[in-house]
Amino acid sequence: MRPRRIRSALPLLLAAIALSAACSTAADDPAGGTDAAEESDTDEAQGTAEEEAETGEADTTAGAANAEALTIAIGGDEGSLTPYTYRTGYPGWNLLGLVWDTLLVLDASNEPQPLLASDWSIDDAGTTWTLTLHEGVTWHDGEPFTADDVAFTFDYVSRFTQSRWTNAVAGVVDVTVVDDLEVTIELDAPDPEFAVRPLADMPMLPEHLWSTIDDPEAAGVEAAVGTGPYRLTEYEQDQRYRLEANEDYFAGPARVEELNIAVFADPSTAFAALRSGELDMSAIRLEPQLVEQFEAADDLAVARGSGFASTLLQINTERPVLDRTEVRQAIGLAIDPSELIEVVLLGTGTAPNPGFVHPDSPLSDPSLTHTFDAAAANELLDELGALPGEDGVRALDGAPLSFELLVYADNPPRIRAAELIQEMLAEVGIEVTISPQEAVTVDDQVWPGFDVSQGRDFDLSMWGWSAPVMLDAGRIAALGHSDPEIGSLNIGGLDDPAVDAAAEAVQAAEDAEQRQAAAQELQAALADARPFVTLYYGDEIFGYRPGSYDGWVFQDGQGILSKLSFVEVG
Amino acid sequence: MTTRRLSLRIGQYLLVLLLAVGLNFALPRAMPGGPLATLGGEDVGLLGAEEREQLLAEYDLDRPLPEQFGRYLAGVATGDLGTSFVDRRPVSERLLARLPWTLLLVGSSLVLTTVLGVAVGAWAAARRERRRDTGTIIGVLAIDAAPPFWVGMLLIAGFGVQLGWLPTFGAVTPGGPGGFGDVLAHLVLPVATLTLAGFAQTALVTRSSMLSVLGSEPLFVARAKGVPRRRLIGHHALRTAALPVHTLVLLEMGWLIGGAVVVETVFSYPGVGRLLFEAVLARDFPVMQGAFLLLTVTVIAANLLADLTYPLLDPRVRHPVEVTQ
Repeated sequence: MRPRRIRSALPLLLAAIALSAACSTAADDPAGGTDAAEESDTDEAQGTAEEEAETGEADTTAGAANAEALTIAIGGDEGSLTPYTYRTGYPGWNLLGLVWDTLLVLDASNEPQPLLASDWSIDDAGTTWTLTLHEGVTWHDGEPFTADDVAFTFDYVSRFTQSRWTNAVAGVVDVTVVDDLEVTIELDAPDPEFAVRPLADMPMLPEHLWSTIDDPEAAGVEAAVGTGPYRLTEYEQDQRYRLEANEDYFAGPARVEELNIAVFADPSTAFAALRSGELDMSAIRLEPQLVEQFEAADDLAVARGSGFASTLLQINTERPVLDRTEVRQAIGLAIDPSELIEVVLLGTGTAPNPGFVHPDSPLSDPSLTHTFDAAAANELLDELGALPGEDGVRALDGAPLSFELLVYADNPPRIRAAELIQEMLAEVGIEVTISPQEAVTVDDQVWPGFDVSQGRDFDLSMWGWSAPVMLDAGRIAALGHSDPEIGSLNIGGLDDPAVDAAAEAVQAAEDAEQRQAAAQELQAALADARPFVTLYYGDEIFGYRPGSYDGWVFQDGQGILSKLSFVEVG
Repeated sequence: MTTRRLSLRIGQYLLVLLLAVGLNFALPRAMPGGPLATLGGEDVGLLGAEEREQLLAEYDLDRPLPEQFGRYLAGVATGDLGTSFVDRRPVSERLLARLPWTLLLVGSSLVLTTVLGVAVGAWAAARRERRRDTGTIIGVLAIDAAPPFWVGMLLIAGFGVQLGWLPTFGAVTPGGPGGFGDVLAHLVLPVATLTLAGFAQTALVTRSSMLSVLGSEPLFVARAKGVPRRRLIGHHALRTAALPVHTLVLLEMGWLIGGAVVVETVFSYPGVGRLLFEAVLARDFPVMQGAFLLLTVTVIAANLLADLTYPLLDPRVRHPVEVTQ
């Protein structure tokens, strides 16, 4: 094996070559190159990955608690950084939180804490929320922030519906301004999620500027005026942002005076720039095969924690043969997630709950674990009468158990996982053909028009949902309910009475306790009906230079790019 | 070229342009998937049917295709390329923001490619069938075979990470003072990559063209009458051999706008190629149409330029009647 510490130029060049092969946008055949790199590094990296603590700050010899200016990499442009023009859930929404404030804020373990609202209470019926606002908060242009802005924001997101928060405020009946620093919000029914979303998720908009904005999706940087710890002072599309600390921030000025956010088109270039010292932190997830290198280097460190983004094997439950629950259960039994985690993620991931929810999510049912048992899978298929033909491929009702597996061509780890699944399923007589295609093309077959009522045209697909789904019981209900109105994320077309009943119970829950019980019920039902096989949750891993700044705070499931890393809140 | 032939040629190019304008409209819409994810943002899956329709209507995507095509044609005719699905900014504004960077990047590398290519090609030809010529050919072919993104990554690893001499990304230092020196420093590695990736073809064409000229009768005579070797190669041979090279360089110039997508991606350089690539991934129809149109126009313009300047280099084309064999 290679030496652990990379000092000479040659291994570095080799690493660069391996990296460039992983460069999905440029490589003709991204799968081939990355496979080799992953395999050769597996044994060695596995060991360190397991020894590694949750947040690896092993090399922090000269950690800096303050900094004048940091340069941070992101993986794509995020528009003019307003609540209507940012692009991605991560890191777009996280960047938004540097310029804008929410009423509440989620702390490192995702519990709601006061922010613009210094105090809040809920009445006994669970439908009236009273919020007391922090005194002396001003917008970046010096105007005071008041309860009118809160009422305006709730009204605005319900009028201009292309927002992340429109659904979350659908249950708001009335927002009453009691005085400058107090508002009451009345809901049509108790909503246990209300503190998380919208309150800790929806940035407050300045009425004096936004009341005249009628086309918020065309809003430019002049509309990016929040109350947050940083003001946006420069934006060059697809290149960079400059954020300067807001000296008047109500919770005290940020520990870093200036943040330069650089937009990268290719992750491997960002990792190279981090090593060359041009970058101080990369908000682009570090590839598992680089973790060891980064940990070994004296001037680099890695922040690591659980990630709530899921990776699944999605099954089309409407396809002949795959519409049999037993066949889907056999597929689940034949797959060994621990091997996927070892080979694809080099150990930097968490074993799956077959009912979808990450074990670290408060909603999770910890008693549900994945069972890998190829013999049991074979038995189950034999009992069904799906016997192997001459070529070893089983057939049921005259149809061979032979399926196409779609996967994003620009995602080498998922392609690698698909290849391993192909081998695992071959062991039980199920034939899989891997079909890597461009992302939008895959989406168009799995989730045409992003509307499950339009049907679907695939057998199997590598799939994943972003982190927010993991914290929101309502969206977990949407994963499996047969009615498209409720099951808006039911891309496999599952129609299972037990799942439907459990999903409806989640929707009807009136408080956190009921919701928790119903969500656990639902996970068990999903694990049993198997519309998908949960494979793993990859860790969130970020590289940084502790000598430049070492005050990073890891927010569970999100990462280190948030206001928690720069100011004392939450 | 006579006026009649010239106008005929321009007419042909106009026809090509018209066809291209039609294709630019049709091809993006023939791709699987659509711009809905771009329009709807991260929570597109939570949109109701009504909101979805409303969204498409906002961008006129609910209209019948012929009507959309008509609007697009009318727009192109009046110089209006529409607005981007991604940020609602005018497409022309987005293209113009990128164009100077691409021109700077690809323009500098085109000059270097040509100079280096012609020099290496001429040098190799002058040493034909010696060991050094063979070595040069092998070296040139090896460089030509290396994929640009790989060469780029090697340069980044060597000059950026190991030696720390040069910046590895972007067109200027984020948060830095900027200025001419900064832009120049950021230009070095991407231009070096493009030049390394591109000069081989020019070198090979120059070499083979030179070889055929060097073996021709006029050169034989020139050598016999004692023209010094330097003048023989530099004046007599190279000028004659420049014709195919001229064509090649102008054809490459046609690719100036969109041809650098890989290098722009590796170095996160804000050029048109990257804009086009991102527009394709986002199914941003107006930007795709606009960028492809720009691409078409440059290719056609470069071809036209090649046609117009060829006679300046070749007297036989300039005065066809006087040519006798």
